[in-house]
Amino acid sequence: MDSEGGSSGSGEDEGEEEWNGVNGASGEAVGEDEKRTGTKPKKPPTGEELRNIKDATELYRSGSFKLQIDALLPNVRPKYSRYAALDRFLMSLHTFLTSLSPIEADHPLAASRSLLKKGIAVPFPAPAPTEDTNWKVAFQKPDDITVVGSWISKLAVKAQDKRPYRVDLAVEMPSTLFQEKDYLNGRFFHKKAYYLSVIAAALITKKSGLNVDLTFESTMGDSRLTTLVIRSSADGSTNDFSKLPVEVRLIPTLSSSCPIQLSRLSPQRSNLRVTSASSSSIEETSTPLYNSALLAATVPRAHLLRVHALQKSIPAFSDALTLLKVWANQRGYGEGEKLCVRGFEGKGIWWAAVLDLLVNGEERAAGKLSKAASKRKPLGKGLSSYQLFRAALDFFAKHDYSREHIFLKTENGHRFPPHEYDGHEPVFVDHTSSVNLLAGVPLSSLEMLKHDAKLTLESLNDSPLAQDPFTEVFLGDKRDLQARFDVVIRVDLSSAKLPKSSPHTSLDHGSAYNALMATLTSTLRTGLGNRAKAITILHPSSQMRQLSQAQPSNSPIIFIGLVLDTEHALRLVDHGPAADNTESEVARQFRDLWGEKAELRRFKDGSISESVVWEVKNADDRASIPFFIVRYLLQRHCGVPNLDVRSWQAEFDQLLRLPEDITALYGAAGAPTGSKAAMTAFDALVKNIKALDDELPLAVLNVSPISESLRYTSVFSPVALPPSLTSVLPASARYMPAMDIIVEFERSGRWPDDLRAIQKIKLAFFETLGSALMRTVPGLRAGVVLGDGAPASELEDAAALELVTPAGWAFRAHIWHDREAALLDAAIDDKPHLPKHVKKRLQQLGKAGGAGPDARLAMRAKDVYTRRFVHAPRHHRALAALAHRLPAFAGTVRLVKRWLAAHWLLRGHVREEAVELLVAGVFLGAARTPHARESVPGTKERGFAQVVRFLGEWEWERGVSVPLYESEEDKEEAEAARKVEVSADKRGVWVIATEMDPQGRMWTSEGPDAIVARRVRSIAKASWVALQGMESPDFDAKTLFVHPREHYDFLVHLDRGVLPRYHHNVSVDGSIWNKSGKYANARVVADDSAGPLRPGFDPAQLFFDDLQRVYADTFKIFCDPLGGDQYGAVWDPTLKQPRPFRVLGGFSSIPVPKNEKEKSKDKFLVTLNTDAVLTEIERMGTGLVSGITLQV
Amino acid sequence: MTLPTSVAGFTPIPIQYSSSSTHVLYARLHTGSKKGLGDRKQTHLPEGRTLFLVNVPPDATEREVMQFFKSSGTVERVVFEGEGETAEEHAEGDEESDEDEEDAENEQEADEQPHKKRKLAKGAKPAPPPQVVQLPLRVARDLHKTGRSAHVIFLDASSLSRALSQPSKSRPWPRDPEAPTGLAHYMALYTALRPPLDVVKAHADSYMDMYEYDQAKKKRQSKYKKGEAVVDEDGFTLVTRGGAYGQTVGGGVSVASTRFQQTGSASKRTRKNKKEPKEKNSFYAFQIHEKKRKELMDLKKRWEEDKAKVEKLKETRRFRPY
Repeated sequence: MDSEGGSSGSGEDEGEEEWNGVNGASGEAVGEDEKRTGTKPKKPPTGEELRNIKDATELYRSGSFKLQIDALLPNVRPKYSRYAALDRFLMSLHTFLTSLSPIEADHPLAASRSLLKKGIAVPFPAPAPTEDTNWKVAFQKPDDITVVGSWISKLAVKAQDKRPYRVDLAVEMPSTLFQEKDYLNGRFFHKKAYYLSVIAAALITKKSGLNVDLTFESTMGDSRLTTLVIRSSADGSTNDFSKLPVEVRLIPTLSSSCPIQLSRLSPQRSNLRVTSASSSSIEETSTPLYNSALLAATVPRAHLLRVHALQKSIPAFSDALTLLKVWANQRGYGEGEKLCVRGFEGKGIWWAAVLDLLVNGEERAAGKLSKAASKRKPLGKGLSSYQLFRAALDFFAKHDYSREHIFLKTENGHRFPPHEYDGHEPVFVDHTSSVNLLAGVPLSSLEMLKHDAKLTLESLNDSPLAQDPFTEVFLGDKRDLQARFDVVIRVDLSSAKLPKSSPHTSLDHGSAYNALMATLTSTLRTGLGNRAKAITILHPSSQMRQLSQAQPSNSPIIFIGLVLDTEHALRLVDHGPAADNTESEVARQFRDLWGEKAELRRFKDGSISESVVWEVKNADDRASIPFFIVRYLLQRHCGVPNLDVRSWQAEFDQLLRLPEDITALYGAAGAPTGSKAAMTAFDALVKNIKALDDELPLAVLNVSPISESLRYTSVFSPVALPPSLTSVLPASARYMPAMDIIVEFERSGRWPDDLRAIQKIKLAFFETLGSALMRTVPGLRAGVVLGDGAPASELEDAAALELVTPAGWAFRAHIWHDREAALLDAAIDDKPHLPKHVKKRLQQLGKAGGAGPDARLAMRAKDVYTRRFVHAPRHHRALAALAHRLPAFAGTVRLVKRWLAAHWLLRGHVREEAVELLVAGVFLGAARTPHARESVPGTKERGFAQVVRFLGEWEWERGVSVPLYESEEDKEEAEAARKVEVSADKRGVWVIATEMDPQGRMWTSEGPDAIVARRVRSIAKASWVALQGMESPDFDAKTLFVHPREHYDFLVHLDRGVLPRYHHNVSVDGSIWNKSGKYANARVVADDSAGPLRPGFDPAQLFFDDLQRVYADTFKIFCDPLGGDQYGAVWDPTLKQPRPFRVLGGFSSIPVPKNEKEKSKDKFLVTLNTDAVLTEIERMGTGLVSGITLQV
Repeated sequence: MTLPTSVAGFTPIPIQYSSSSTHVLYARLHTGSKKGLGDRKQTHLPEGRTLFLVNVPPDATEREVMQFFKSSGTVERVVFEGEGETAEEHAEGDEESDEDEEDAENEQEADEQPHKKRKLAKGAKPAPPPQVVQLPLRVARDLHKTGRSAHVIFLDASSLSRALSQPSKSRPWPRDPEAPTGLAHYMALYTALRPPLDVVKAHADSYMDMYEYDQAKKKRQSKYKKGEAVVDEDGFTLVTRGGAYGQTVGGGVSVASTRFQQTGSASKRTRKNKKEPKEKNSFYAFQIHEKKRKELMDLKKRWEEDKAKVEKLKETRRFRPY
């Protein structure tokens, strides 16, 4: 490292080139070596190779990380050798500009009128010159023209969205044009605007000989920062650079020797003297942004020199800066066609200045050293690009701009005393100590930067080495709204205006729009307080405009993205100052902020204080509090009507709710709803069971829930159906979910040692338990269920006790007897004493591996056993804890389940538990960390978007590991060691490992298989694309949940009227139970009032399961388990090929009429008898199936 | 459509499902398996009058099959694929129980001298084997995997030829009115799976009685008791491995498990502290050399692998971030 630092130091201009060269050359050498010797190196590495390898692993994250950085860098940099045409153009431009003839001094308005005739509107910034201005504008050829900025220092980085590279051309205006007092009232800017317009006028004339397209562009919509953008039009001349992705910008600059008194531009100074009509007195409010904008015209050359010096002194500077810019561009801190974070336009030099700060440190204020600065030690100059990049992220992640001001190390000390900057945040003063590089950047945008830096650091730190974070950090476009922000709000500003607009602020900000933005961000920031970690304003970066358009236009649509701090975000009450000092400044500000919402309240602890209370009706409302706050504040302070503020939370909420007429029925019957109510009911039931101790032969040790309704993750909030509802509910809304629970009795030696007998004993226990409960709890109904209808062996735990509490909650209890596991193991493998290899031999010899007749059945039974009794309770506990810890988790699971269900994948192909684990994986990240992760979504919408993105990108072959369980290492290791491979055939391809299940097949052994997994991926990708549509005004969240049906071979339509679960359907049609009104009700009463509601009865599901089983090898069938009224199926394509007849073909076949040729005489070809199969389906589903449509 | 007269030795029998769809049954004479599974199977599926069917509709019931072949002759019974075995098991079970009874008689004679069996024997002697109260039959119709096979056993051998020489005019599939389909089927199934509590109780109790009876019988049958040596006719004593301390559950003399013999500990954990490897691998200078060299080679190899990986990624244009 040292030697390389030295070599580049000794090298002349090409310092960084050489740095690259060394690596590149050695890389090639190794490559050649590889060619000679094949893939495996036979020779030990040479010293130089060794040093390179060592460097890569030590100075970068890992060897491959370095290689990837090396591969990335050339792709984001221009290839300068191809830009000869540009150089020629610049030469001729230089000649042209230096030969321009001067124009006599004239009144600004008169001068502008003459330019207007040529089609150029002089972009005079406000306050524009008037007829009684007493100074004049003139033009003389520039003193000096220099290429400045990133292009000339070879630091240009490709911009997003195919934007061209920028070549900045600093055109120094002659000092003679200016006067001492030009810093006042925008006079300098007016002169500058005129100067630029004259150049533009000269350039567009044919006489110039330069065939160019000219546009104005004002950085950040601030017309004081207007530049002239030159693009070549394709004319085929030698100067034509239109093929190159590049544009030239003319930036008028000011020489340091100009007569303007720059000392008058210290940030506290007021240089805009506004004489408003109401008060003739001159306001003396400081104009920091104005001053900064003026000073910015003096620094481009100085910055160029500084960057050059940095490049020379820090070998990895260029690479690090490029990495940093790529990282920033990917996150929207820059320019692009898509939405960008506000404030980072034209801030290229700032990124370089950050690296400058890290290496060279800060300028100390006399004597006192800021706290952060003393903590921060300057970095060495010899760090690698990756190390510098990380250091920069670390700075972003840690620095608090609202408290600490930063002054870069200067040569001559502070130009303005640091305290002058007090009150202007954020402050980051450049090395010339004149310009605040962060002037006009909202604090909240910097907080977003902080958040993003934390995220990246997290993924760099946490992900295990095997997983490569490179893609995550540099390659992925992270500018999307949905997965990035917890709350996305779309605001139409077209009718916004500041109620208390002071002309002065809008003048300081450069435009009314910018002033509005500033008010908006600062109001939201105070209003949301610690509810949000970052508030981001996003809008497209400023657009080019025609020369005839003097003032920049701004996009009326902005997006506000909130990253919530889940701990505080959903707080119901905002406390203000205490009541005793109502007249204080703080109290006044509080009331001013909240208006009529602020009220004096007395709280439980006796304190009386100003406060704001947010009224919510339900949990969904509560989750929208941040949105309500934003909407309220926008209306109050920026005059944006509520209708113009939109978020998508409500649309997503709607997807998890039942149709209103059904909830109205529930409400009328007083049915308890919600997870909390379900859990209370469960606890009451446990109490009842435990109270039975005397009546049961064995004491109950434990009752554990394993149902999703009892861990907040069921799609619909659980509801009890009391008997009074029985007669009211329509047939298509009579579904009554049953919640699974597990009862564990104390150990006893009296259990039989036989699997079949154990299942029968369980029946006896159920009977005793059931009758005892019915005796002690009036109104409770109990019944023994022998199974779920699917064929099950006698060894399997199939029976359950169905309990319906008086309030209408249905439970299904299973009994856990832990001896079963040992017995099943014995049945699977009755020769445990034989070593494995002997068994293998036996199997090869055909001696049936020692498996008894029950072995297969026992394997299945063991599968059921482990899943239901070992893993399900653990899973349940872990997830319930997670739902408590991460507020958005449960909602996300519900949305994802709904989404998978709506796409006909849930349950039939993807188990609910697998979904829960995947979502947990997205929330928890790769490794368990002691602190809360920065990346944890704060709302279910963002969680959903992240899961969808994850599913679209996930390479399931590599699996995912979810650190769900707390470290119970000892226990778990023992568990893992004892684990036997149980299930014989594993069709599923997803691997979701947890500490408790290292193989990761517990919940995915039966699906999804490769075909379905690919389908999940493609649906996820499509949904992700659709989610991007949120940026367009007519995005509807529901479209994500509409399933495309055209890919199915046939659809089976079910009769909605008889489906007890139809009311869960995504696009439910209420007329099913409304239209026929009385008739439907009458029928219901006639049919079903005889029997009570059937807990868990869902014929659509039963029929689906039967079809899936019966035609397992014939077609693949899909349906929405949540009230789906259609099945879709795809034939196994291989069955359509004629094939020889086989006895155990496993499908319904029909002989193929033979060809005339009779090629195969003895072979009788058969093919799938699709018609017969469809008729069979129709027959088996009599009463359910209303029709089948074939789609070809 | 016209069907061939024979498909791989099977006669296709068309079934008219609906106006547009025809299902095809494949029928053949049943021939006993060549392995000669013994006479039991022969009696189970008598060769002369059994018809072997392939591609039986998945929802077919025995009654429906019977009805379908009624025109050919009276069907004695139908054995569906997968059910055959259970039927066999039943048969086996029956035979075993016959034997059991004999055994039991023998046992009674031998019962005179044994000591503590008295109580059990007393209970068993007067009481006939208890009957298990069966749970109500699930439902009339079971759905099976499509394309399965079945054996149809006619009463009379002559029916076979009639069944096989059917004119290829398709007949409709009969429906069993007592076995509902579709929604009604699922409703019936739902109810059938929830029998009244007293039936469940009776079933469980009687099953356990039966189980205990069986256990008791087995106990009586077994000649050996725990802890007593098992000596066969030739005078060999059975020695088995088992448990940590050589305690086996069954009879016979036993020795401790290998692991216990070797380590003196029953649990698995202790196995982990293995002996140190005998050979020191950084003793000689050349070993150290070799080791270092290998490390370097590995380093280079990994580097090369990384390089190759990145090259591959480069080809996929992955490094164009935007």
